[in-house]
Amino acid sequence: MANDNSLTDDLLAVHVNGLTKNYGQTQALKGIDLSIKKGELFALLGPNGAGKTTLFSILATLRSPSAGFATVLGKDVVKDRDAVRQSMGIVFQEPAIEKRLTGRDNLELMGLFYGLSISKSKVRATELITSLGLEEGADRPAERLSGGQRRKLELARALVTDPGILFLDEATLGLDVDARRAFWGHIKGLTESGRTVFFTTHYMEEAEVADRIALIDAGNIVALDTPRALKSRLGGGVIRLSTEDDVKAKAWLIEHGYTTESHSKELMLIHPDPASVVPELMRNLNVKVQRVEVHEPSLEDVFITLTGRKLAGETPAGEGRGKGGKWS
Amino acid sequence: MIRGIYAIVILDLKRAWLDRARLVAGLAQPLLYLFVLGAGLGASSQQGAVEYKKYIFPGVLGLSLLFSAAFAAIVIVFDRQIGFFKAVLVSPLPRYAIAYGKITSGAIQAFVQGVIVLPFAPLAGISMSFGSLIQLILSMFIASLTFSALGVAVASRFKSATVFPIVSNAILMPMFFLSGALYPLKNAPHWMQVATHFDPVAYAVDLMRGSILGVFYFPPALSITVLVLFVSTVSWSAVSVFKRGEDDSSLGATQFNWRR
Ligand SMILES: Nc1ncnc2c1ncn2[C@@H]1O[C@H](COP(=O)(O)OP(=O)(O)OP(=O)(O)O)[C@@H](O)[C@H]1O
Ligand SMILES: [Mg+2]
Repeated sequence: MANDNSLTDDLLAVHVNGLTKNYGQTQALKGIDLSIKKGELFALLGPNGAGKTTLFSILATLRSPSAGFATVLGKDVVKDRDAVRQSMGIVFQEPAIEKRLTGRDNLELMGLFYGLSISKSKVRATELITSLGLEEGADRPAERLSGGQRRKLELARALVTDPGILFLDEATLGLDVDARRAFWGHIKGLTESGRTVFFTTHYMEEAEVADRIALIDAGNIVALDTPRALKSRLGGGVIRLSTEDDVKAKAWLIEHGYTTESHSKELMLIHPDPASVVPELMRNLNVKVQRVEVHEPSLEDVFITLTGRKLAGETPAGEGRGKGGKWS
Repeated sequence: MIRGIYAIVILDLKRAWLDRARLVAGLAQPLLYLFVLGAGLGASSQQGAVEYKKYIFPGVLGLSLLFSAAFAAIVIVFDRQIGFFKAVLVSPLPRYAIAYGKITSGAIQAFVQGVIVLPFAPLAGISMSFGSLIQLILSMFIASLTFSALGVAVASRFKSATVFPIVSNAILMPMFFLSGALYPLKNAPHWMQVATHFDPVAYAVDLMRGSILGVFYFPPALSITVLVLFVSTVSWSAVSVFKRGEDDSSLGATQFNWRR
């Protein structure tokens, strides 16, 4: 057994076993098991309060677990904390740049904090500014950058030491669609060069860029697979109905051998062949149907069937979540 | 580690430079003491106004160092709220480097403020030989370090900057008044003379006064020893506060603490 572990350890970027975390009475994590391969782009998707930041913080050595263990690049996050810190980069849910200083100053200082020499940290800052396309604005106080530029600067800050693994906590919070796409483009590039990226999000579109997704809800991982496999779990398509009397309609559906998603508040059924069944439903249902919606299963649907709850913030652009993303 | 201290110092000085207007504003308090209090109290002292101004000049210099060091230290409370420090705290930089960096940067800021007060010495009727100027500058340096270490040790224990006025009134002012900055200690009541022995500000002010006027209340060697001991114990205590945050479970939260 011990041999097995050491063999796989070489290939694993993150290994988590039986991890729990309590905050007083609150059980934020209830026994997480997780393995992430090196070079993987891994998403942790879940609604507000699911425990994403908590898991993220434990992996990034910011908090200690209540029980269980976790290793990052083969190093224990508690016992070998400094080694983990040396080899990781981190982007927080909140801004972590000194906004009054320029982007370049921020990057140079961070290099010094990571033990680079003065000249090396200057060179590194310039490298990062160029590779992230931040030339315009790098010498302005960071508070006068656009939201997208700031998040890029955060990423640059996390990359100062060229880390083997990158942790991102809701890294694109408050960005518009274009800026998000550009951001994930960079991240993709990083994983292609062999780095591992672990990110949390509650936007399902965002999670779909990942190689694998763990769905987390109330401190448990409820599913873990590739985006495609997760969606094909549902098979076929999703039918959503809104009727004059959902309770009655539901009873009818069950009576006629349909399985509705019991978790869901609205009427939702999953069917291998929605196109053929919808006309029949419309004809036979004993209550008036106001609206019917048929679509390919999304991660949202997967989440609802597993937990009965919605992911928050399906529309990432333009909404104000009033937390975290605030700059000042 | 040296790089880490250097980085903290550079960070703080860059930010302080953005607030350089504070250096000018920082002149108001010492000049008020020197020329208003000095003129008023001096006129009614047996020494006369001119002698009195000369006498309190080093005290006012001490006041300026004390308060600018305290102000520099209070930034720690705000730092706790900015994300940048979260990034610093998850770097492999040892915590004691942060504490030493903070003490160094506070001392530099205080010293610079003191240097800005220095040109007013002739207006207080002081003329100094080059030798005593050097002595004074060295004393100012020790004093800045002392006050900065004190400031960092105190500020690192607070979570909110709103306590600053309380700290200032409960710790800084008594230390300043007890130090003999504004009146000769040798005429003070006995209890005060005893209390003064426990006041680092008194030793620092006395060193500076001795450098200017050539008359010391404490033997200079004693003052230097006391101040060096004070700086080391207080720095050590500041480091221990920063270290307590080592396993900082609140780091992941929006606000975090140096200590838990
Ligand atoms: N420092 C803390 N003290 C007490 N409870 C906490 C603390 N931090 C988080 N919690 C609780 O733990 C649970 C998980 O919180 P966590 O921050 O991990 O959620 P999250 O998935 O990151 O949510 P969000 O999407 O809002 O960022 C929540 O119920 C939260 O209230
Ligand atoms: Mg979170």
